[in-house]
Amino acid sequence: MATIPRILALGGHDFTTRPPDRAVCELLLKLATERAGGRPRICLLPTASGDTSEQIGRFYSTFGERACEPSDLSLFRLGRRPMALRDHLLEQDLVYVGGGSLLNLLAVWEAHDIGAMLSIAWREGVVLAGQSAGAMCWFEAGITKSSGKPLSAPGMGLLGGSLCVHYNNEPERRAAYLDAVGDGMPGGYGLDDYAGLLWEGTGAPSAVTARRGARAYRVTADAPGATPPSSAGRGASSVTEAPLPARFLPAPAPATLREDIVEFRRLTRMRKRAGWPLG
Amino acid sequence: METTSRQIVAFGGGGFSMESGNPLLDDYVLGLTGAARPRVCFLPSASGDADHYIVRFYRAFGAERCEASHISLFRREQGPADLRAHILSQDLIYVGGGSVISLLGVWKAHGIDEILREAWEAGVVLCGLSAGSLCWFAEAVTGFHGAPRRLEGLGLLPFSNCVHYEPGSSRRRAYGDFLRAGMRPGYAAEDGAALHFVGEELSRVVASRPRARGYRLDAVGQRVVEMRIATTWLGDPGAASVVPLPEAMSTAVAA
Repeated sequence: MATIPRILALGGHDFTTRPPDRAVCELLLKLATERAGGRPRICLLPTASGDTSEQIGRFYSTFGERACEPSDLSLFRLGRRPMALRDHLLEQDLVYVGGGSLLNLLAVWEAHDIGAMLSIAWREGVVLAGQSAGAMCWFEAGITKSSGKPLSAPGMGLLGGSLCVHYNNEPERRAAYLDAVGDGMPGGYGLDDYAGLLWEGTGAPSAVTARRGARAYRVTADAPGATPPSSAGRGASSVTEAPLPARFLPAPAPATLREDIVEFRRLTRMRKRAGWPLG
Repeated sequence: METTSRQIVAFGGGGFSMESGNPLLDDYVLGLTGAARPRVCFLPSASGDADHYIVRFYRAFGAERCEASHISLFRREQGPADLRAHILSQDLIYVGGGSVISLLGVWKAHGIDEILREAWEAGVVLCGLSAGSLCWFAEAVTGFHGAPRRLEGLGLLPFSNCVHYEPGSSRRRAYGDFLRAGMRPGYAAEDGAALHFVGEELSRVVASRPRARGYRLDAVGQRVVEMRIATTWLGDPGAASVVPLPEAMSTAVAA
């Protein structure tokens, strides 16, 4: 079982059957399977959305058909379904954090001590992944629209530096990011929708993209005085955006049920009917 | 000008969230505002701003009797931009049920805790059920997240609080244990009962069901003293005392 700390930060995607979404899903499944060495456990944390049925439903409709054991940890729904939070998170192979309000995500996590549990999980090799708020949360800071207009906000800080998501799709968010980095926020990365960055252990991340033209950028404040031609932003220092070379993720064929999954499900149903323990 | 009264009505459970067809508690809190058409703002934060819950609020608080609004802290791009101005312009703030731990976390992140204190001091009536009751107290017992736990609320009321205080419930037992372990004295309410505080003093206990009660709890050494408080049933005592049973508990209800 792999114990390299890994984080996959995604600039924006959804769980649909569109090709780039399938490509992202495939990568998530691959990372989880590498960690598990077999059938992986994948848990959704939909906290940033307020645990909406929509986000939870899309997650299950995507991973329910795949060779994995999907679950969700919905902190607003514990009344109906209490869970041992720490135990559940630590037994996962991949924890996927959905999008929504970064501010609320971190506030609710802090209230339930989820941040500390995820830090331990990360160090033990549980892959941490997410898009939008669920990507920025791992960094020291991000640009959130949790209060309406884009503003910088702190994250958990497992990864140094900052992240801005939906980079070319939300120009006002990018502008706020460039200003913030120019004004002294730690530099970091900008991610378009369907672009991602994968950290494996320490060192630089590798960029991936599930859609042609979607890019990852390194965003840094220039030394005072220096003004390279590619500079942008209205902050105190000028800021440089450098696109990173990215590996293209091809979309797999639309999901058809593999024979072993069909067989597994048949067996599971039989066991349930017979009242046998699963696994 | 008379001095503004600070009022909080803490439901043990009940109102539109749990008692569809029984508007007695909701009518009571609307009546406290003294306004002909009160401005009522719903805070569904403890449910994660669940859509179905917000819809039920608007159904229960129709335009014919009040001016209803809500604040969704998960969708700030919609709704009022200036939270403070909006909350301070209300006659009644109605806090829904759900996870009180999440509620307090989200409120703090958006500065709602401070705004609500200000609103309370300015005479805006504060009310809520379940998590929306526990939040106003210095300490509370929550049973939403599994085994009952002790937590700190906003502390507008310097007591402890327990909701859904039904006979034989694990919360009821846990509250006694917490009091013996040093939790400050406080008040509990059964489903259908509501504790009405004026300032920091309990003014009266009202109920939407004839048999629902509120309680005062103190620890004397290792003994817990539970005192049942005389409770006013808000229904007509002459009418048949048939009160609808609570709906199946939804995610948005149990604290």
